[in-house]
Amino acid sequence: MPFVAEILKHRSLSIVGLEKNTGKTVCLNYVLRRLADMGVRCAVTSIGVDGEQVDAVYGSAKPEVRLYEGMYFTTSEQHYHRRRVVSDIVAVGPARTALGRLVTARVVCGGKALISGAASTPMMQQYMSLYDSLGCRLSIVDGALSRLSPASPTVTEAMILATGAAVSANLAQLIARTRFAYRLISLPEVDEGLRRALSPIAQGLWGVDSDGVPHDLQVASAFLLERSEADLTRFGTTLFAAGAVTDRLLRHLAAHRRVADITLVARDFTKLFASADTVGAFAQRGGQLRVLNRSSLVAICLNPTSPRGYHLHSADACRALSDALGIPVYDVKQCTPPAL
Amino acid sequence: MTFRQQLSDNAALQYVADSLEIMSPAGRRCLMETPWMTEVAQLNEAMDHVQTLLVRLHRPDCAPLINDLRHCFMQLHDVQGTISRLRSHTLLDEVELFELKAFCHLCMQARKLCAQLEVQPITALPDLADLFALLDPDSTGVPHFYIYDSYHPDLPSLRAHLRAAQADLERQEQSGDEAALDRALALVTQLLGQQEEVQLAVIRRLSDQLHPHADRLATALDRMGRADLLLAKAVLADRWQLARPTFSPSATRLRGLYLPHLRHHNEALHLRYQPVDLDIAPGVCLITGANMAGKTVLLKALACAQQMAQYGLYVPAAQATLLPVDEVALCIGDEQNEMNGLSSFASEIIKISTTLQACRHRRLLVLIDEPARTTNPIEGKAIVQAVIQLQNSLPSLTLITTHYSGLGTDCRRLRVRGFVEQLVDAPLTPATINRYMDYSLTPDTGDDVPREALRIAAILGCDEPLVSLATSLLPATV
Repeated sequence: MPFVAEILKHRSLSIVGLEKNTGKTVCLNYVLRRLADMGVRCAVTSIGVDGEQVDAVYGSAKPEVRLYEGMYFTTSEQHYHRRRVVSDIVAVGPARTALGRLVTARVVCGGKALISGAASTPMMQQYMSLYDSLGCRLSIVDGALSRLSPASPTVTEAMILATGAAVSANLAQLIARTRFAYRLISLPEVDEGLRRALSPIAQGLWGVDSDGVPHDLQVASAFLLERSEADLTRFGTTLFAAGAVTDRLLRHLAAHRRVADITLVARDFTKLFASADTVGAFAQRGGQLRVLNRSSLVAICLNPTSPRGYHLHSADACRALSDALGIPVYDVKQCTPPAL
Repeated sequence: MTFRQQLSDNAALQYVADSLEIMSPAGRRCLMETPWMTEVAQLNEAMDHVQTLLVRLHRPDCAPLINDLRHCFMQLHDVQGTISRLRSHTLLDEVELFELKAFCHLCMQARKLCAQLEVQPITALPDLADLFALLDPDSTGVPHFYIYDSYHPDLPSLRAHLRAAQADLERQEQSGDEAALDRALALVTQLLGQQEEVQLAVIRRLSDQLHPHADRLATALDRMGRADLLLAKAVLADRWQLARPTFSPSATRLRGLYLPHLRHHNEALHLRYQPVDLDIAPGVCLITGANMAGKTVLLKALACAQQMAQYGLYVPAAQATLLPVDEVALCIGDEQNEMNGLSSFASEIIKISTTLQACRHRRLLVLIDEPARTTNPIEGKAIVQAVIQLQNSLPSLTLITTHYSGLGTDCRRLRVRGFVEQLVDAPLTPATINRYMDYSLTPDTGDDVPREALRIAAILGCDEPLVSLATSLLPATV
């Protein structure tokens, strides 16, 4: 399977799912097995609470994370005490999570463990630095629930997107939702000059003038857009949303008389919280979406089984999705396991 | 009274606390628990320690060592809870044993750095090498921890079996053979259980061996905190250009006194801040001056300097000699407490009364801002006269600001020079009036007070009919 070689071109990887039970952990276990075989020193953690043995919503069995000798992992104190590996503690973070402090350890004798981790992006960035300092070639973040935030290029360089029957048992709907996510992940980046100008901006909606200089449009929140009488394109038709891009913002821009000239720049795809319909309407009227930083999608994995009991035909679903997206889609459970 | 008890409603001291670059929770706890010191020998020793560190801060050869030391404090976790559990002989877990090992490692590093900096006699960090060795049976020298194979003769073989069983379990997971998978899982579970029992025996032994050293570890944590705090005091003294105070049994003498948070606020806004000189001795000193002449700021600055000194910090002044006191009583007149149903006058007079009673058997620094200003001027004046007469013969140092004239009492008087007409070179506004104020103090022999209230009101842009009418109503003698 080629995508493991692709992963190693990056220093960090997130595995995120479009929904719960889309096979993130199966995918993670597959990747970890391959990395262990290749002798790659890596670290694994999760954003927020994850790795429970039983799915909290459906009560179905969830695969644990299998860790191999020499790997590093970070999990909460409570989960650390329940691990089934022998491991050498290298750090205990001072910050507390709902499940205690975060323990980072090196696996001495492999086995399975429950992985939970930092709940915030800044904390996650600190752990990425810790793994670097421990000499890890790759740091992997297992996404929790359906949160996409760890896939932000500000946290991890590369990502794997997990999708499957849990998203929809209807293949056409599954394809539509996955295609929409793929479309956002694949949004083109702005040029280097504009990225440098916009990256330091932390909040607000900004208009970029013809010299590439950003100006604050003084829109305190998306709720005030309708009341704002000033033209959002007064400085230029390139706009930058430093925070979330919502349906409300996109609908407002779609109704603008100069929508066909507008390019809306988001920080990255994880900041896009708009629905497929709104994004579609904005694009149909000529509006363009760009991102400051594009994520590097290394693979899409599919879990044909949903926790409600639906089963899609694995090969058919992978093929249909692959045809629709134009990229390979893998069911890691169907992969020939590497020789042990 | 500890530093923590002094912090409530004390913005000046809170600013000092927030500005100290203390790296560890233990250091912050030491600051909060710092006692109020009155003994001159104890105060001088505290200042000696700050000075010793301050000298090192300025030596280029010490810079990397100090950086490393600060890094040690930054990594210092609060292991107080773990030490308490050890003291009460509770069984520790692996994470807690890791914490103790990491703490011993840090303490050993810090001790070595303190020795290189030649400050180990001050910090007195204990040697924890024996405890570190107990938690490092393989002599790795690194602050990592697990129940090492060498802790128990059964562990190496048990873990070898476990390794093989885990590999087999993984194979069976992929084989689809349910019966074989169940067997493999059962074997792993059994081996993990056996390992757990052995590990528990090791943990019990380690907890027993560490238990007698709980007090030593607590002392080490406290001293690490103190060392962190001491370094933070020296860094603050250097950053704010604070002065080492000397202590006198008879008088307080300050040159270039300032209120840190106000000075830094003004400097950030490119506004002028004028430090002042002040000499006071036991008895009463009356301060007069126009409105906006900085009298209240003067009282707050003096309180802040006295408190910083008696908690072992250098003071915000160019030079400082201080008479140690038992307490600082600052009555600023903002004591109104609606929740207690007390008026501003009632709250103020109760506080003054309590302070005066305390002065009969203790030496205080009493700082009262415009006492009795919220009642009628006839009785108010009488109250001020009484406070002066009562305090004048006591060993406390009392500073009172007032706008009352003709108090007729015999005490030392200082006047804030105030508004300097000759300096005005641009239109006056509330924002610029500060430029033309001279906040320095001058001895005053008269019994009259400056009357610039209406002029200040006019400069502040107050209602013109109000200012004109008030001016016309002034008695002819004014």
